Amino acid sequence: MKRHALHRFDVKASPYFYISPFFILFGLLGLFPLLYTAWVSLHDWSLLEDAHPFVGLDNYTQLLKDPFFWNALVNTASIWVLSTVPQLILALLLAHVLNSRLRGDTFWRTGLLLPNITSVVAVAIIFGQLFSRDYGIVNWILGLFGAGHIDWNAGTATSHVAISAMVIWRWTGYNALIYLAAMQAVPDSLHEAARIDGASSLQRLVRITIPSIRPTIIFTVIISTIGGLQILAEPLLFGRGGLTGGSDRQFQTLALFLYENGFGHYDFGYASATAWLMFLIIAIVAAINFSIIRLIRRA
Amino acid sequence: MRNLHRLVTAIAAVTLVAGLAACGGDDKGTSKTKIVIGTFGEFGYNDLYKEYMAAHPEIEIVERVTKAEDHHKNIVAHLATGQGSADIEAIEEGWLGQFKVNPDKFYNLLDLGANDIKNQWPEWKWKASIARNGAQIGLGTDVGGLAMCYRTDLFAKAGLPTNRDEVSKLWPTWDGYISTGKKYAAANIPESAFFDGPAVMYRAVLGQADIGLYDTNDNVVVESNPAVRGAFDKTIEALKSGLSAKIEAWSPDWNAGFQKGRFATIACPSWMMAYIQEQAKDSAGKWDIAKIPGGTGNWGGSYLTIPKQTKNSKEAFALAKWLTSPAQQAKVFRKAGNFPSTSTLYSDPVITDFVNPFFSNAPVGKIFSESVATMKAQYLGPKAGDINTAIINGLTRVEQGKQGPDEAWQQAVAEVKKLV
Amino acid sequence: MRLAQLRQRPLVYLTLMAFVFFSAFPLYYSVVVASLDNSALGSVPPRVVPGGHLVDNIQRVFDTVPFGLAMTNSLIVSAVITFSVVLLSTLAGFAFAKLRFRGRPALYVIVIVTIMVPTQLGIIPLYMLMAKVQLIDSLYAVIAPNLVSAFGVFFMTQYLSAAVPTELLEAGRADGCSTLRLFWHVVLPIARPAAAVLGMLTFLNAWNDFFWPLVVLTPENPTVQISLSTIASGYVTDYALTLTGTALATMPLVIVFALLGKHVISGIMQGAIKG
Repeated sequence: MKRHALHRFDVKASPYFYISPFFILFGLLGLFPLLYTAWVSLHDWSLLEDAHPFVGLDNYTQLLKDPFFWNALVNTASIWVLSTVPQLILALLLAHVLNSRLRGDTFWRTGLLLPNITSVVAVAIIFGQLFSRDYGIVNWILGLFGAGHIDWNAGTATSHVAISAMVIWRWTGYNALIYLAAMQAVPDSLHEAARIDGASSLQRLVRITIPSIRPTIIFTVIISTIGGLQILAEPLLFGRGGLTGGSDRQFQTLALFLYENGFGHYDFGYASATAWLMFLIIAIVAAINFSIIRLIRRA
Repeated sequence: MRNLHRLVTAIAAVTLVAGLAACGGDDKGTSKTKIVIGTFGEFGYNDLYKEYMAAHPEIEIVERVTKAEDHHKNIVAHLATGQGSADIEAIEEGWLGQFKVNPDKFYNLLDLGANDIKNQWPEWKWKASIARNGAQIGLGTDVGGLAMCYRTDLFAKAGLPTNRDEVSKLWPTWDGYISTGKKYAAANIPESAFFDGPAVMYRAVLGQADIGLYDTNDNVVVESNPAVRGAFDKTIEALKSGLSAKIEAWSPDWNAGFQKGRFATIACPSWMMAYIQEQAKDSAGKWDIAKIPGGTGNWGGSYLTIPKQTKNSKEAFALAKWLTSPAQQAKVFRKAGNFPSTSTLYSDPVITDFVNPFFSNAPVGKIFSESVATMKAQYLGPKAGDINTAIINGLTRVEQGKQGPDEAWQQAVAEVKKLV
Repeated sequence: MRLAQLRQRPLVYLTLMAFVFFSAFPLYYSVVVASLDNSALGSVPPRVVPGGHLVDNIQRVFDTVPFGLAMTNSLIVSAVITFSVVLLSTLAGFAFAKLRFRGRPALYVIVIVTIMVPTQLGIIPLYMLMAKVQLIDSLYAVIAPNLVSAFGVFFMTQYLSAAVPTELLEAGRADGCSTLRLFWHVVLPIARPAAAVLGMLTFLNAWNDFFWPLVVLTPENPTVQISLSTIASGYVTDYALTLTGTALATMPLVIVFALLGKHVISGIMQGAIKG
């Protein structure tokens, strides 16, 4: 009888022990900064001054009327579409290819993560070189096909393409690795059966693998949505440290706009309001993407 | 499973070491006074620290160096949270305006005895670090000065004089600069323009006016001050005459531009010389330096400030005063090339005799000291940097063909209004 | 069997090689520049063959900053953070994925939601917090805010919900196993590939973290990224020196990944045999 009661206690109570380390630490160190910035967003708060008058929702209403905010939103959306969609598709294909028994597994896996471990400084210097107007390699290759020199920095579309290229380069391998880990949990028997039935590699990918790793796909879509809407390093580096994202803010993303306000103008209140508005947008977009991906049939 | 256990044990061991390592680091038990000085870039003070510590055995100096942008951001963070700043913080002139808004975070150096050494510096350098309430928060370290670096070989190709005195006579004003530029453009040298891009010219022209972006009451006068629109228009004129290579400063194209002679002239402060020497090694001897149009100018230079958070204000001030005195500035100049701000040095042979072989033995000591010695003080307000960014973005938009000059100006002014 | 596969699928290997080439090129190029000097970066056409200055530049890096200390600090910080995040995320992930308890959906939503808020501004309140507990300028200040990761919990939850067969857990329960025994004997072995991946990613993130350590540490007690910033400082960036620093800073990462990669494989092999 005692063993039965202990067992019931175990089933009912132990989950809380498993999640409590996370929530305790998070409550202390993660929640406090979040709530603090929410509090700051309700004030006229400059990091350079000591007086912080309460202004209610003024920062938010000002933001919604700010054309730079909307400009940043459009830029962010455009860059997100251009970078996230190709990235995830490429990652799926890559992971599928790597899922079969290949020679030199460790070599390919390390290769997947090389873009992530390359330092941001190096990336800035090299991509700056690649997309240089007069002497960049990309323009040189285009020149071989007869196209003229593109000023990648100056145009809206061109700057979005260049930045998306940087993002795709950096994150495709990362997502491929996540897909790969998930694919390897799919039982080989399923694939064997399909092979015996004569299914091609692509068919196996679409009909078996993708439904089997549906939770992982949902996961990467949500994470890429969240990350993609917060892109900061790439536009900052592409603009060589300039906070306006180009002469006409043509590639200023929401995160760069936030950074300009928070650490350029030191307007902490306005930047905090931006952060929370971004949160709202991210939550909505993530929810939409989630419902779209759920349409994939379950395995 | 065994491997996992090994991994876990290893990490646990590391954690233990971490605990020990993280605890250590604080050397209590010495009776020395520790002075922390925060700088960026290369102030060239390393030998000076040793000298000072040898003469003052009770003082220990520790330097913190980071990149300029990060350094200044950290100062803001440390001042805002009231913790963590160094005893002496170096602040560059571009960021100085922001910190002058809140002078109460810094010691008023006049209270510590700065008035005695006031005359070491040219008037504008001294005034630039005085806050609106009259507090002096900084002691000047170096200056950039401003001159015009030019390629003698390209000038020769265009039929222009190459001797630096003659070249200086070509452009006593910016109008002269533009007409010389037109002559250069007419020579049609392939892949070569007269200057690199609009940003530096605009700043140089603006810097020569009596009143710039702000009046002395911290009011923004961008719209009402004809000097600002004048600097904008003069730069536009140069752009429209086809004199610009349309290259963004600090970009890879710009670096390559030095090597390939993409621009025949570039406004250069003293620290630009080292940059050109690094980027375009093969062009040694093909450069020379003439006066900047308008005669005076400055780009760059820093100050040593003492945040109120310090517990050792007297010792910090003594060190800062010593570091910025003419004798030490001369040593730094000889070792690291940072141009001194103390005008009492400008008649000293260490400056007057200084020539640069890379630049055809130009007497750079004389040239740069002259450009700053007679410069007028222009009041720099808190958001001067951001305002300049908005206006320079406007110039870039015109250059990139996105807007006409009037439209670009209106947009820049609207942005400035939003900023303040 | 392997050679036959190689001959059968040249296109696959070709594509993979192209991919690795693009992935590796920036890293390779930064090593090239590290072995040259500054003027090489601006030269056109760009130089792609290493030069002879590498040893000089490495020496200069160690002369300019306490690089050995920085590497050690980064190693400690990243290892501790990785261990903590992986452990706590697996624990919480198991609970969210396979255990039933009141409030599970709500708490899970909180986890996901917290990933969505941009965190750059958090450094100001975090700094104030660390100042209050007198942890400024110690490695604890860098480690503490990163001990848990909502992303890690999310990651392990979705992995475990798919990878751990519920029937297996139910069978174990029926046999009278406690939750802890289930966790140790069933869940952990299955979690290994994901734990290795999460470990790699967490280590990487912690190693490259720059913004927060910069505010809370000082160059006397730096992590690697801070030292890199010190190297890169200057009116004029010494690119060769900077990229030498970044190449050196990247070496440990490559080693860690090569090692952990083997664990991923062996874990999968074991899983395959059991399953």
